[in-house]
Amino acid sequence: MDSNKRAALLLSLIDKLEEKESWCGETHIQKATYFLQSMTGVDLGLDFILYKHGPFSFDLRDELSAMRATRLLELEPVPPYGPQLRPTAIGRRLLERFPKTLERHRRALETVAEHLGPRNVAELERLATALLASQKHADAEAGARWLNQIKPHIDPRSAKEAIEEVRGWTEDFATA
Amino acid sequence: MKLAVGPMHASRNPESGDREDVVFSDWESILSEIITSDVFGADRMDYLLRDSLHAGVAYGKFDHHRLIDTLRILPARHEGTDASEPKLGIEKGGLQAAESLLWARYLMYTQVYFHPVRRIYDQHLADFLRKWLKKGVFSTQAEEHLNMTDNEVLSAMFEAMRDETAEGHDAATAILRRQHFRLVYELNPADLEITKDPGKAIYDRLCEKYQSENIKHDAYRGKGEVADFPILLGDGEIISGRSASTAISQMPTVAVDYVFIEPGIREEAKLFLREERESILKSAVPKEED
Repeated sequence: MDSNKRAALLLSLIDKLEEKESWCGETHIQKATYFLQSMTGVDLGLDFILYKHGPFSFDLRDELSAMRATRLLELEPVPPYGPQLRPTAIGRRLLERFPKTLERHRRALETVAEHLGPRNVAELERLATALLASQKHADAEAGARWLNQIKPHIDPRSAKEAIEEVRGWTEDFATA
Repeated sequence: MKLAVGPMHASRNPESGDREDVVFSDWESILSEIITSDVFGADRMDYLLRDSLHAGVAYGKFDHHRLIDTLRILPARHEGTDASEPKLGIEKGGLQAAESLLWARYLMYTQVYFHPVRRIYDQHLADFLRKWLKKGVFSTQAEEHLNMTDNEVLSAMFEAMRDETAEGHDAATAILRRQHFRLVYELNPADLEITKDPGKAIYDRLCEKYQSENIKHDAYRGKGEVADFPILLGDGEIISGRSASTAISQMPTVAVDYVFIEPGIREEAKLFLREERESILKSAVPKEED
């Protein structure tokens, strides 16, 4: 995907997450982007692997850093917590240049924001890893055991609930 | 091994080059941070001080003794929640040393590692090696690889420079006779308001006008995690470094964008760009296709 389009989609995703009262830290954007790629088919060309807090993309981390370097995004410190990511005025001008792309994927972006926006990092970790588990294991029980094995702080019951919750979103995301 | 190289490199399969899952426990994360962290990693502290000394600049210096004395493992609030995870942080007394480390990193990157002459020499060296090495790459046979030292390369460059018909003659001459390509454009932050890739736009236009073999482009945008860490205040409260320090929160992300040109046509190109720069950049404004 063209780098300007990818930047526009990421900026739009951040905007929509913020509308749904997301904290918009890097973890939030990582997990939301994972859902956007995995469940809506919007291919941003980013590779995700399993890492500390579930699915993570080093490509996306570098992309967000590059967007800060080119002043499309800025960091807003929020004491006593870490910073939030926000589109800048330059970022908003980029958004205005891709109306068709953003309209084509508007429903997908909004669906991700609706489901994930209000969630905190612990919930995002659980849900994103549940999505990964669900993709690796057709059977929810097997997926829950795998999830609990790699994330022992997520007990098997919570793991299974998370997998079932994510699977319950399939219809919403399919129409996005 | 994964502790020493850090998660980004540990996740890369050395044979396929693909990214693979990598699991770090909290304790492994801390141990790896001590070695490889973008903020307090021993590797970074070492190379900033070492490179500063050997390059003869003061930019990379900071009070590393004070910083190390104040390092602590702290429960860091995680992105908007009070739930915490252990991270490498500092006591409040080490904040200024941490600020000077981060500024040292920024200044070494912009003034040394990404200095335009250093970057164009990299390109000329790569051009020479591509022409001179068998199949354009270093051997992967252990003995052959280890036998290829700076001495072999420099000796070959001198030979190539003296022989106009030798492979890599132009690149060797550019380096050894300091006839390297000269800077004709470097990133102006105001240009980012027009397009996020101004150097590429300038490079493309100059290639059309002066032919691509006379022009080179070098762009870099900062990578890696947001530099943040927990700070232990005197009253026991733990806050984010970016919240506690204006110097850290205002620190820019490194961005360079250079266009270089064959020295003989540099003055003409500068005049051309003085007239045409704005229209070149405006033509590069991203547009959506139908």
